[in-house]
Amino acid sequence: MSQGISLQPSRQLRRRYRAERRFKAYCVGALLLSIAFLVLFFSDMVRQGHSAFIQTEIQAEVTYNEDTVKFTNESVDESIAPLVSRAFFRSIPRRVDADPSLMGTTETLWLTATADVDQYRKKYSDRLEPEMQSTLERLESEGKVSYGFNKGLFTSGDSKIPSNAGLWSAFVGTFYVMLVVLAVSFPIGVATAIYLEEFAPDNRFTQGVEININNLAAVPSILFGLLGLAIFINFFGVPRSSALAGGLTLSLMTLPVIIISTRAALRAVPQNIRQGAQAVGASRWQAIRDHVLPLSLPGILTGTIIGVAQAMGETAPLLLIGMIAYIPDAPTSMTEAATVLPAQIFTWAGMPERAYVSLTAAGILVLLSLLITLNATAVILRNRFERRW
Amino acid sequence: MRTRDLTGDSTQVVRVPTMERPRVNQSTKMSVSDLAVWYGEKQALHGVSLDVYENEVTALIGPSGCGKSTFLRCLNRMNDLVPGVRIEGAVVFEDQNIYASEVDVVELRSHIGMVFQKPNPFPKSIYENIAYAPKILGQVRKRTDMDDLVERSLKRAGLWEEVKDRLDAPGLSLSGGQQQRLCIARAIAVSPSVLLMDEPCSALDPVATATVEQLIDELKENYTIVIVTHNLQQAARVAGYTAFFHLGNIVEFSDTDSLFTHPREKKTEDYITGRYG
Amino acid sequence: MDTSQTLLVFFGGLVPMAAVAFALGRRKALLSDARGARMHSLPGQYGVYVATWMALPALAIGVVAACAVLIGVRVPSAPFVLSFALFGAAVGLAMALRRVEPTLRARNAIEKFVYWTLFAASLVSILTTFGIIISILFEALKFFNQVSVWDFVTGTNWSPVATFRPGQDAADSQFGSVPLFAGTFMITAIAMSVAIPVGLFAAIYMSEYASYRIRTFAKPLLEILAGIPTVVYGFFAAITVSPLVVDVAAFFGLNASYTNALAPGLVMGIMIIPFISSLSDDVINAIPNSLREGAYALGATKSETIKQIVLPAAFPGIMAASLLGVSRALGETMIVVMAAGLRPNLTWNPLEDMTTVTVRIVDALTGDQSFDSPETLAAFALGLVLFVVTLTLNLISIIVIRKFRQSYE
Repeated sequence: MSQGISLQPSRQLRRRYRAERRFKAYCVGALLLSIAFLVLFFSDMVRQGHSAFIQTEIQAEVTYNEDTVKFTNESVDESIAPLVSRAFFRSIPRRVDADPSLMGTTETLWLTATADVDQYRKKYSDRLEPEMQSTLERLESEGKVSYGFNKGLFTSGDSKIPSNAGLWSAFVGTFYVMLVVLAVSFPIGVATAIYLEEFAPDNRFTQGVEININNLAAVPSILFGLLGLAIFINFFGVPRSSALAGGLTLSLMTLPVIIISTRAALRAVPQNIRQGAQAVGASRWQAIRDHVLPLSLPGILTGTIIGVAQAMGETAPLLLIGMIAYIPDAPTSMTEAATVLPAQIFTWAGMPERAYVSLTAAGILVLLSLLITLNATAVILRNRFERRW
Repeated sequence: MRTRDLTGDSTQVVRVPTMERPRVNQSTKMSVSDLAVWYGEKQALHGVSLDVYENEVTALIGPSGCGKSTFLRCLNRMNDLVPGVRIEGAVVFEDQNIYASEVDVVELRSHIGMVFQKPNPFPKSIYENIAYAPKILGQVRKRTDMDDLVERSLKRAGLWEEVKDRLDAPGLSLSGGQQQRLCIARAIAVSPSVLLMDEPCSALDPVATATVEQLIDELKENYTIVIVTHNLQQAARVAGYTAFFHLGNIVEFSDTDSLFTHPREKKTEDYITGRYG
Repeated sequence: MDTSQTLLVFFGGLVPMAAVAFALGRRKALLSDARGARMHSLPGQYGVYVATWMALPALAIGVVAACAVLIGVRVPSAPFVLSFALFGAAVGLAMALRRVEPTLRARNAIEKFVYWTLFAASLVSILTTFGIIISILFEALKFFNQVSVWDFVTGTNWSPVATFRPGQDAADSQFGSVPLFAGTFMITAIAMSVAIPVGLFAAIYMSEYASYRIRTFAKPLLEILAGIPTVVYGFFAAITVSPLVVDVAAFFGLNASYTNALAPGLVMGIMIIPFISSLSDDVINAIPNSLREGAYALGATKSETIKQIVLPAAFPGIMAASLLGVSRALGETMIVVMAAGLRPNLTWNPLEDMTTVTVRIVDALTGDQSFDSPETLAAFALGLVLFVVTLTLNLISIIVIRKFRQSYE
């Protein structure tokens, strides 16, 4: 009946293979497009931000005496003074207070240049007064200009002087906020997950709680900001802009992430572990506390780290509770006005001076490396300790 | 090397109790020689040779993990889909080694149909389940032709009377036995010349099993069938030839009657008398 | 600070007191055990039992007092509250200690307490949802007392007049929300027309074509894309993509605004790609292999199997993923705050500047306006609409995904 069946592709099949190749190309293309975007994005951020990690420094002789403590601009040569960042001059009285023996002496220091000089040298702008240009050229030929690592980016707080602005207060604020997020969302999240996964009866109420948690995970973050504003700040009187207000708001956002991942970790522990423990006389809670929880701990911690990383990058709700204030000094308590890294980035992104663009991109690189470190930790934790049943 | 001998004397007249018809001049539909399969490091088949006769039912029996399913899935190259698989040897079908580089696997599968262990109707209507393959293969273009083909296939599968009033109902709404017959109808709609069946009745109840077995018996008029089964009675009921697999080798292959009544190998006897398996 | 001192005394006192209570309970149990009584539970469990009953009344009094202070109800002075709490603790301690008997099922009592604590924790998520609804609803209702719902829903002119003092007349303000929603939907549409095809095709590649090695390499990359904070995307949209759009438009002789809707839409789309792709990946992986094998065995090619068997089977899940993506795009704030315009603009041209609901919410609530000015209240009305719309989308997709999971389990 079947004579001369050919097993080579027929004409019709060849046409179908063309469609096959087209389809696969779309799929590969989609993935490559996403990856290309990622590459574009990171190279753009590095291109914009790398220069903020270094800063132009000028070598100059600094004289300390009665006059220069009052008129600090006179402490360096008057031709060089306009090139030096105001932040240095402001620090002179402090330096002399700290070390009175400086009085009446002269020392040679590398001084941070102004943002204008810095931007000019980095070729971001060509606007610099001609006199300053010539001074700069002279200093360069004398080898008295160089680039130094911008320590201030990590050690000083926000500033209206771009060459002096740093992330320190944002670091401290982020630390406080994350402390609150961990303290609130970790115990409540894990307890909720244990209840839902191990104790809750399968009824309408439980299903409602589950759907509610899944919905909370998808509620726009800005609505959590409205909640923080209306409930925490206006109703409970938590200080506006404080790390406490921000932390509480972000906690509620992090809660569903922790609950969902903890439930998955608990579910991964096989039922016979619980039954085994209960068979030797442990109660349900003892079986969970002594066997299930230790076994699911890596999964729980992984989910928590991912949730915290997510909260660390969140900005929108914090705008509404006033965490975009100008915070030059690091907060010292939970109730003081604070800012966090993404909010600092947002503030800098809105500044008109060109120097802040580099600063913003540098802040972004710092934030991204923090987040990638956190997430990588989570992945390593999962791969290293997670047991496959 | 017993299988080789068998190929030689396959022309002799064999009496099969289930079929009162003597068979003469059996022609070989597929010829497998020295087929070896590895899944990663693990070897699943150790150089197996077997001839599949036209318009006959060949049953493959043996304990779990003996390689009978692997063997079956080599006949239409379904094993190609398993990651890390390595296949050696030849399977000759229509004078071509299906593992030769110029053979197109999609073309091949449209000539060698397959029915799976668990009924797997597509999540589409009964009609669409049958019409799917003829449509993509470009065999049928007109709607009226397709209606005819669907009706014919369902009739051949003995399902027409049960579903003719609800061809638009989802295939998954049928009972297990009906679903399996739908899958058979789906497979024969593209008129393959060989039909592979991988334990087609293992997920079915006894009544549905009887229906499907009867269907297999009817289908062999037009198709060459290779069936893997766990059920020795089933092999005895439907198959003209039976091969006994053990640990990736064919221990014995002969007409079903002799294999069950006068096994030549001790292992075969142990297995069919229920000493292991 | 007075409150923090009170808190310090309260909690600093509570912990050592609990330790004492634990020791007392345990000692009593050990003593009766030594006398030969068969205790129901372990001595330590009696200790925990006593400590719990000591701490609970004190904590309850403390929490009630703290809440009362925060809400602004006049409460007696801190020392009074403190001594009252101490009294409660003493009563609890005495009663619990008296009950420590061989027949007392201390373990069961503790576990009951644990159970109710866990249950109470699970209520926090419900309270959060209520909190969102209440915080939005009341202010939104105040707004709708001043502005008719009809004008808000159908008006095409959004021009609030800034008012800085409470009660100032805002009769000249117009609150027609149509242009805001038009802008929101325009940007969402742009985002989804990027995210759905790219995300879906990437998911198909990952689940159907990619080798294990490519998957382990590409998946983390997509996860990085998902982990980039929105403020960073916003900066990227504003500083790089917007000028690019303007340049490209100029190349074609078109005039684009620097705060055009296209740039935030595109960047938002990129942000949602990994979201769609990971959800679709899960859904496609949930489709049983037997369906694919069934199609291959009939002579279907891989793409035919995917297009005609796998994708239709996965459709509900992909649909749900897309709805979640839409919900995300509607509520996305930072990208549009940083890259989209502030001007309400009713237009079909994505190269013009447009504003969105979330931009106006942020704008109204970060200004210096008094809290009950109509513009501030309007932010809550916008928030209410945003909440209702995203809630509907989320619920549909959550229920569809649940059903889908059940049908393939």
